[in-house]
This record gives sequence, structure tokens and C-alpha cells, in this order.
Amino acid sequence: MPQTFHIRHVGQQRLLDFAELWSFRHLFRTIVWRTIRVRYQQTVIGMAWALLQPLLLTFVFTIIFGRLANIPTNGQPYPIFVLSGLLVWLFVAQAFNQASISIVANAHLVTKIYFPRIILIVAAITAAIFDFLCSFVLLIVIMVWYGIAPSVGALVFVPMLLLAVLMVFGLSLWLSALYVPFRDVGHLLPFLVQLWMFLSPVIYPSNLLPTKYSFLYALNPIVVVIDTSRWAFAGGAPPQWWMVEVSVIVALVFCVTGLWFFRRMEATFADIV
Amino acid sequence: MDIAVSVSGLGKWYVVNENRYRGTLSDVIGHWIKAPFQRARAAPDAASIIPNAIWALREISFEIETGKVMGVIGHNGSGKSTLLRILARITTPTEGHATLRGRVGALLEVGTGFHPDLSGRENIMLSGTMIGMTPQEVRKHEDEIIAFSEVGDFIDTPVKHYSSGMFMRLAFAVAAHLEAEIMVVDEVLAVGDEAFQRKCKLKIRETALAGRTVLFASHDMGSIRDICQSCLVLDHGKAVRQGDVNECVRTYNEMCGVMETEPKP
Repeated sequence: MPQTFHIRHVGQQRLLDFAELWSFRHLFRTIVWRTIRVRYQQTVIGMAWALLQPLLLTFVFTIIFGRLANIPTNGQPYPIFVLSGLLVWLFVAQAFNQASISIVANAHLVTKIYFPRIILIVAAITAAIFDFLCSFVLLIVIMVWYGIAPSVGALVFVPMLLLAVLMVFGLSLWLSALYVPFRDVGHLLPFLVQLWMFLSPVIYPSNLLPTKYSFLYALNPIVVVIDTSRWAFAGGAPPQWWMVEVSVIVALVFCVTGLWFFRRMEATFADIV
Repeated sequence: MDIAVSVSGLGKWYVVNENRYRGTLSDVIGHWIKAPFQRARAAPDAASIIPNAIWALREISFEIETGKVMGVIGHNGSGKSTLLRILARITTPTEGHATLRGRVGALLEVGTGFHPDLSGRENIMLSGTMIGMTPQEVRKHEDEIIAFSEVGDFIDTPVKHYSSGMFMRLAFAVAAHLEAEIMVVDEVLAVGDEAFQRKCKLKIRETALAGRTVLFASHDMGSIRDICQSCLVLDHGKAVRQGDVNECVRTYNEMCGVMETEPKP
């Protein structure tokens, strides 16, 4: 008995149809592969850019914020302090940006073939994870250079990264779906990314903020992710557990509402993109 | 005989010169909140109430038996593409429904997923998996695809260095090797020089004869007569004639103002 497809006006849809997503796994793999392959095509040093970007930024930030502005780092060397936060941040920024533009950027696919559009979001984030893993080599080299061993925090770093992925996923679902009818999102995105960076402890330590604002700070899940990274690889203090809980709830709220909104908008993408 | 494709009362309207998103943000959010409730009690002829809405397709019903080829003809803007896009699940209908029994392959353009910076060989895998082949199927057909496309030694060169003819030939070759039970094909015949177009037509005929069900939109009455067992003529979104191929072609030619003599058998 062959597969049967019924086509009708959009009715009630599940938030995630895992069986369908699985049947499109080859397409997913192809899109991830293409993204990574094309990114470093026709560059001389290729994948080394994934290392060079954070390295250059660490250099610049160390001079400006470490030496000139003298930002306190709780006794850690500034380069490793900033890099342990920067790697997480560069991943979040890249994943968020690429995932949010993914539907519009792939309009030529959306209007020509059928597939669950959410694949584009997941593929953009997956490609960013790949870059993150490459750039992680840089952190290991600098840790060896300064003779710093990872702490027990390294064990919770992976689950915390998952929190960052969830947050980026949820937020990108909203923005990518909004981007289709409202091209304003394209102009808003760079500003949002910039703002989000300053709201995260990338260039400064999180304890610089007065504790009475801790709850507001916890609403940004990237704060505890970066704190965990610093705890694990730069010898900082562990994040507060209640902040982690708040962050997980925030990320889940964005994921569920994002999925709901995305699924509602999905059917119109091919018509208005 | 089994029915592979059955379509009943299919219709879709679009809002042209769309300005429903030009309202203030609160209008838009209000619209979204109300939309699911409104949809349930929307009148069937909502298009006549909403300004700037036009039916791109209306009251289309037909059936295709398994293994048969149906042609879809009509002027530009007659609704051909909308029909194919609905059946390929790219867009959703406003009313009516369709049932497709079997894996659906859509060839609405050639070169889906092609990336100019990647080599011909890489693009075969890229485009092949995107239009619905498994990587194993692509690898199995790779040599055939390369041979069919006649690009020869250029296969490992980035496709941006291809001539447009070479690019189109490779793109068609990938698409033509999709093995789906139901194929939805739009205008892909028109690629390459005359010799290659002939080869494309042969390939499509081969596809049609391999027991697949094909829905085929074209402006070329020759190939419609050649490969279709039934036909549908669309005009302004409505079916003006359906059934016998020769009658449909005659209707289409009258619409175009072309007086054509009967084809010689």
C-alpha cells in the first residue's frame, strides 16, 4: 500500500510531526552540508575562519576592555575570561541570525518544493553548532597556554549548551516566521543581536550587575550558559541554580509559543515569501 | 483501474496588491487572534467579500488513473501553476481537497537547490536529495545523470562556470531521474537546444510509460498530444474543458486564436 497524502485547507496540526521530520532526514542533511560547504568555499584559509574570528575578537577585546577599560574579571586572565564567554556568544549570534533569516534566504526552495519548513531552522542551528565545535579548539589551546584545567563545571556545560540551543530555536521560530510577511525583521535583526550581546555577560562578568536585578538577568538564558562556560573553563563561580531554572522556563516558553506560531504561519510561507 | 490522483472542488484565492499587513501592529495581532475563529465560519465565497481577493483556481475536479498522463493547458495566469503547487503540497488550497496515492515528486523548475559555487557532481547530490531522492538513489543514478546531461569532464567544475545550456541540461538530468509514483511536472521541457529538448521529451515519455502517474503542464501542444491520455484546459482559474486530448487542444487553440489543422497521425 503506497503512502497516501490528503491535501486540504490547513486544519489542526501537531506542533511537531516527528514521523514526517524523519522522512525528510536526507533533505536536512543536505541543507546542513550545503551551508557548511558553501560558507568556506572560495576562501583561502577555509575552516580556519572559525578559529580566526574568535581569536581576533579576543585580541581586540583584551586590549580595549581588559587593558584600557580595566573591566574586572574576578582574577581570571582577560583573554581566557572573554574567550570562554565569546565562544558561546558567537554561536548564539550566528545560530540566531542564520536561523531567523533561513526561510526568506531559502525562498527559492520554499516556493519550489515541499518539506517541513522547520528543517531550515534546525539546519541553520546545526551548522552553527559545527562552527562552534571547531572554534572550541581555540579555547583548549589558550587553556593549555595559561595552564588552566577545566573544572567540574565542564560536565554541565553540554546540557547548558542545549539550553542555549533551545532558546535560539524558540526565538528563531518567532523571528523567521515574522520575517516572511514583515521584511522589517531584516533591519531589526542586527540591532537585536547587538543588544542581546550587551545584555549577556560577554565582555564583563555577570556579578557586575547589582543583585536586585538578578531576576531580570535570568530571563536571558544566555547569562547562565556563559557563566557555566566561565565556571568550567576559566575558573569562575558556578551560576545560581534558581537562575538556571528561570532560564529553562523562559527557553521552553519561547520554544512552545514559537512552534505554535510557526506552524500557524507555515502554510502561508510559499505564497507570501 | 486504480485512481492515483483524485481532486474535488479544489480552489484557492490570493489577495492581490496585498495590504492587509500594512495596518498597525495592533491590527495585525488582532487579525491573528481572530483568524482561527473567523476561518471556521468563513463563507465559501469569502473572496467576494475581501477586497483585492481573486480566485486563482476554482471548482477543479478530476481523477487520474494510475499510470496515466494528464495534461494541463492554459494561458499564463490561468491557474496551472497554482494547481500544480497545491498538488505538490507547496501551498494549501482554500477549499476542496485532493488525495494522492503514492510518493509525489514535483518538478516545478529545474535546478532546485543548485548552488553556483559547488561542482556539478556535488549539485547532483544536493538537488537530488532536495527533490526527494535518497542519497543511495542519487548515487545509483549518478553516472546516468552525468551521461544524460552531456557535460562530460566539466562535472567536477563549479556550475557557475557552466554555459547556461550546460547548467540547464544537468539540472534537467537530475530532475528527470526522480522516481516517484506520481509526478507533477511544469514546463521543464523547455530547456536546451532542439536536440536536447527532443531528448527531454523522450525521457518524459519514458517516465510516463514506466507506470507512473503524471500531471503535466505545458504550452507545447505537440508534446501534450504526444504523451497525454487526458487533458484539462484552464482559463482564469476555471476548467473550461476536460477529457479528450484533441478536443482540449482545439479549445486551447481557439482561445489563443490559432486555427490549427488536425494533426496528421
